[in-house]
Amino acid sequence: MIRFDNVGLRYGSGPEILRDVTFHVLPGSFHFLTGPSGAGKTSLLRLLFMSLRPTRGLIFVFGENVADLPRNGRAALRRRIGIVFQDFRLLDHLTTWENVALPLRVMGRRESDYAEDVTDLLRWVGLGDRINAYPEILSGGEKQRAAIARAVIGRPELLLADEPTGNVDPAIGNRLLRLFVELNRLGTSVIIATHDYALMDQLEAPRLMLLDGQLQVSTP
Amino acid sequence: MSAVTDIRDYPWTTLLAAILPARLTALLPKRFQAAPSQIVPSASIAGNALTVVIAIMTFLACLTAGGVYMINQSAQAWVDDIASEITVELDPINAPDIEKKMTLVSLFLAKQRGITRVKPLTADDSAKLLEPWLGSTAALSALPIPRLIAVEIDRSSPPDIELIKTALTQNFEGVTLDDHRRWQAEIRSITRSAALGGIAVLGLVAAATIAAIISATRSAMASNREIIEVLHFVGANERFISGEFERHFLGLGVRAGLMGAIAAAVAFLLLPFAMYLLGGGVVTEAETRRLLGSGELDIGGYLLCAVVVVVVAGLCMITSRLGVFRVLKSYA
Repeated sequence: MIRFDNVGLRYGSGPEILRDVTFHVLPGSFHFLTGPSGAGKTSLLRLLFMSLRPTRGLIFVFGENVADLPRNGRAALRRRIGIVFQDFRLLDHLTTWENVALPLRVMGRRESDYAEDVTDLLRWVGLGDRINAYPEILSGGEKQRAAIARAVIGRPELLLADEPTGNVDPAIGNRLLRLFVELNRLGTSVIIATHDYALMDQLEAPRLMLLDGQLQVSTP
Repeated sequence: MSAVTDIRDYPWTTLLAAILPARLTALLPKRFQAAPSQIVPSASIAGNALTVVIAIMTFLACLTAGGVYMINQSAQAWVDDIASEITVELDPINAPDIEKKMTLVSLFLAKQRGITRVKPLTADDSAKLLEPWLGSTAALSALPIPRLIAVEIDRSSPPDIELIKTALTQNFEGVTLDDHRRWQAEIRSITRSAALGGIAVLGLVAAATIAAIISATRSAMASNREIIEVLHFVGANERFISGEFERHFLGLGVRAGLMGAIAAAVAFLLLPFAMYLLGGGVVTEAETRRLLGSGELDIGGYLLCAVVVVVVAGLCMITSRLGVFRVLKSYA
């Protein structure tokens, strides 16, 4: 599904943030991506999401060499990936419901086809009473859940999440982890970038550990 | 394949929402309102200043197009008028009995095939033609003024002008025929010049409109960069993103275009009154009519203004689309 071959990344003429990163993500797998702050977790997620180009090495996403893809080709692949950002990236002028429905709207699906699914998912993540609220009045945790709902509403083949439980209390964090596990059971590959060892300890999943720009894979 | 079950699924309702101001859209029945909120908010696209600029550009374009149209119509009427008439001129010098010669030439012309009417002008009629240049003076009667015969021709089966010209030269001394070709050519030349001038003005208006839209597109893209990034993250392709922007610019173009075209139509309607208000009298009106025909735009002219609105709206849409693609390329 995803293959990194000797990938390196540097910003401008600065030092290499990532060096010789090589790993595979198989369909239906579940990985944690961890490492100290500034180790390059977010940069690695951005490479996975094709919003950055590597300075060297090869990246294959769903079997396609990212370097050979036209811009619209990358957009087509992104529709198969859900992503949760650390800073949520919700659109302030859209309601919670509209934010969550955005990927389906972009796919060209009719509102009447997905309205119920969006409402059900929002209820499931505990935002049933915040459907018509705008992001600016949501708490950090609520925004986090809305961002996660937006990432999973299109049943992506790959879910990337950057610190998805960083702003929620443990109970909601566990509930969100259950959502990720459930998605994984349904066939979605999941990569969660996190510092939260308590969260990682709840699940026996391989850990991609970034240290000094290099990646080590450990299996619990 | 799922059927369209909701009227809000039709793209034209979204377009309607883009064209009409938000306050007006809110008054429409719910089924005519676009269902989801706009991904790119209208308020972030362009302010009233751009609407006013495009309305003024459309106004100028409509005035130019309408003016050229009126001149063209008037010139065509002139050409039609003079093309259906030829003038025979009799040199009064060395013609002791000019009246008899007038009669003979008239009779000769009347017999020719393709000529429908022969009208000899009296000496007074000929003198009156010179009055605008020489004034009404008794001295005119003392001048050897050429005598003229106005000849109307059948435009459906016109005579052989060259043959008549040759026959007149052979049979009558000092008789020449003017088929007004030089005037027709000059009128056509004036019309072409007016049209070229109009096209140049329209070109400048189009260039100014494109420049304004490009600038507005860039600033709209800059102020909506976060939205564009999110759209990228959720898998929107460039066509979808440009569609979100071009819909706004199309609506803006239609609104501003209609404002400009309506203002131009009002200006054309008020043109005759404006001349009176500015102190023009019967002579001014007559001169205007000579230049611009009736001085009023007919249905064809108003349709031309409608075409200008369509072109302006299309220009707004296409320019914004290309602008968005260009900016997205630079982001990539």
